[in-house]
Amino acid sequence: MINVEKISKQYGSLQALKDISFQIEEGTCFGLVGPNGAGKSTLMKILSGILLDFEGDIRVRDWKVSKDRLKIKQHIGYVPQEICLEETLTARDNLLLFGSLYGVKKKELQKRMEEVFDQIGLTERAKDKVETFSGGMKRRLNIGCTLLHRPDIIIMDEPTVGIDPQSRNSIFSLIHHLKKSGTTIIYSSHYIEEVEQLCESVGLIDKGRLIEYGKMEDLLERYAKPSLFISGTGIDENLLRNFGDVEKKGNGYLLNSAHPLLTLKKLVTHCHEHNLEPHRLELYHPRLEDIFFHLTGTQLRNI
Amino acid sequence: MWAIARMELKKTVQDKGLWFWTFILPIVFIVAFVAIFSGEENASYQEIVTQIIPGYTIMFAFFIMISMVIVFVKDRERGMVARIASTPISVYQYFFGKWVPFMILVLVQIAVLFSFGVIVNDLPLGDPLALLVLSLALAFIVTGWGMAMAVIVKTENMGIALTQVLALGGALLGGLWMPVEFMPEFVQTISQSLPQYWALQGYKDILLSGSDITDIWINLLFLIVAGAGGMGLALLFYPRFLGHSRS
Repeated sequence: MINVEKISKQYGSLQALKDISFQIEEGTCFGLVGPNGAGKSTLMKILSGILLDFEGDIRVRDWKVSKDRLKIKQHIGYVPQEICLEETLTARDNLLLFGSLYGVKKKELQKRMEEVFDQIGLTERAKDKVETFSGGMKRRLNIGCTLLHRPDIIIMDEPTVGIDPQSRNSIFSLIHHLKKSGTTIIYSSHYIEEVEQLCESVGLIDKGRLIEYGKMEDLLERYAKPSLFISGTGIDENLLRNFGDVEKKGNGYLLNSAHPLLTLKKLVTHCHEHNLEPHRLELYHPRLEDIFFHLTGTQLRNI
Repeated sequence: MWAIARMELKKTVQDKGLWFWTFILPIVFIVAFVAIFSGEENASYQEIVTQIIPGYTIMFAFFIMISMVIVFVKDRERGMVARIASTPISVYQYFFGKWVPFMILVLVQIAVLFSFGVIVNDLPLGDPLALLVLSLALAFIVTGWGMAMAVIVKTENMGIALTQVLALGGALLGGLWMPVEFMPEFVQTISQSLPQYWALQGYKDILLSGSDITDIWINLLFLIVAGAGGMGLALLFYPRFLGHSRS
């Protein structure tokens, strides 16, 4: 179990994090979601032992970050948001560097490097200089550098920023593989779909505060009720108000009511009687993004 | 720690610009200035080469600070500093790993320039042990100051500008371009507060007067203490440096 206990961090007059507390079960994937500047990277830096001057503490199993930092670091792998590689050196040299920094012995390191190259799909390019790689290949190597010491916990700070769909899928496959092998993953992103796809539990962070956290299904159950989405010619807000609470969403409207199925039936009848032809009329299952909006009043995508 | 040193050394060897600044340009300067001043009536040829060769060796040794600034600032901007801080190695190991390759580079630079002097200009060498220890002390101060500069400066340009002030200003006032005896008294007083002065006087004592380590202990002490001061500053400013690292 990873226990984050009342973490606060101040940069001058800026309160970057305030009283952040949550728990992560080992072997699960925990997603940290928030807009840019919410404090995700600061929290990730604290979790990975880079930032030391903060209030509060973090416990990993029986170890405390404040006392057993070096021991914890042996069990953690950190994938930074930036691509931190030596571009003028080969992919092999980069893996060699990071494996050695974690104290992996030379013979064992050679074996693990082959495994990692295979996992990240770069075996053929091992001897090439990193500066000749595409963005996606660099991202994969960036993750590969974290796997050599076989960490129990991997902290990934926006690992898919600016890459092509093929590399993104490759990274997702790798994460699924790591999850299957029991690795705990802490995954930060402002791409909500990624977190929904990969994580079992999630923490929503905004302006340095943890707004809510818990299992994905619990949060959806607690905050998100199914509603109806409707769009089409002649469908307007005034009409829909007769059936429930209305809010504009994209090119249509969301209709919230206590009994969406019953409302759907009434709406279909009404449209039929008044010759209205909706382009779309469907049950809408709220997503993490809607919960974030519900709790903060802020759209993640617009930031 | 050795992994960082190995990686840094590999990068250094690949950097052709560094080879130019470290070896080729100083040799060009030495050849040119020895040629210009060798017709001087008031000084012997030996006095001229023992002024010019160590003088320009010391001046160009200080330019290693530019390479150090570039390496550290790049590491900070790419987030490499933060990433390395997430591994179990300590701050001391990090600095040691970064420092060793530059120390080696400066020692090789001194060896190459002095060897050139011996082969081409009949430079006398004096006591080899004293020469080695003084060269180690010189390499220690330039890398120590380089480390401090690299960690403290906010931008690469600021580091390059400050290094030029230190290297060229120190060369002028420290007597690397002309003997301090020819300078006004107040400049001679300033000279004595500069590492360039103590390094050059030490070399001159070894090469011209046959001094050994016991004769140049003050020079060594000055250089080592000043170098250690630089290292201390680098360690002191490391948390701020790490805080500014991208990740």
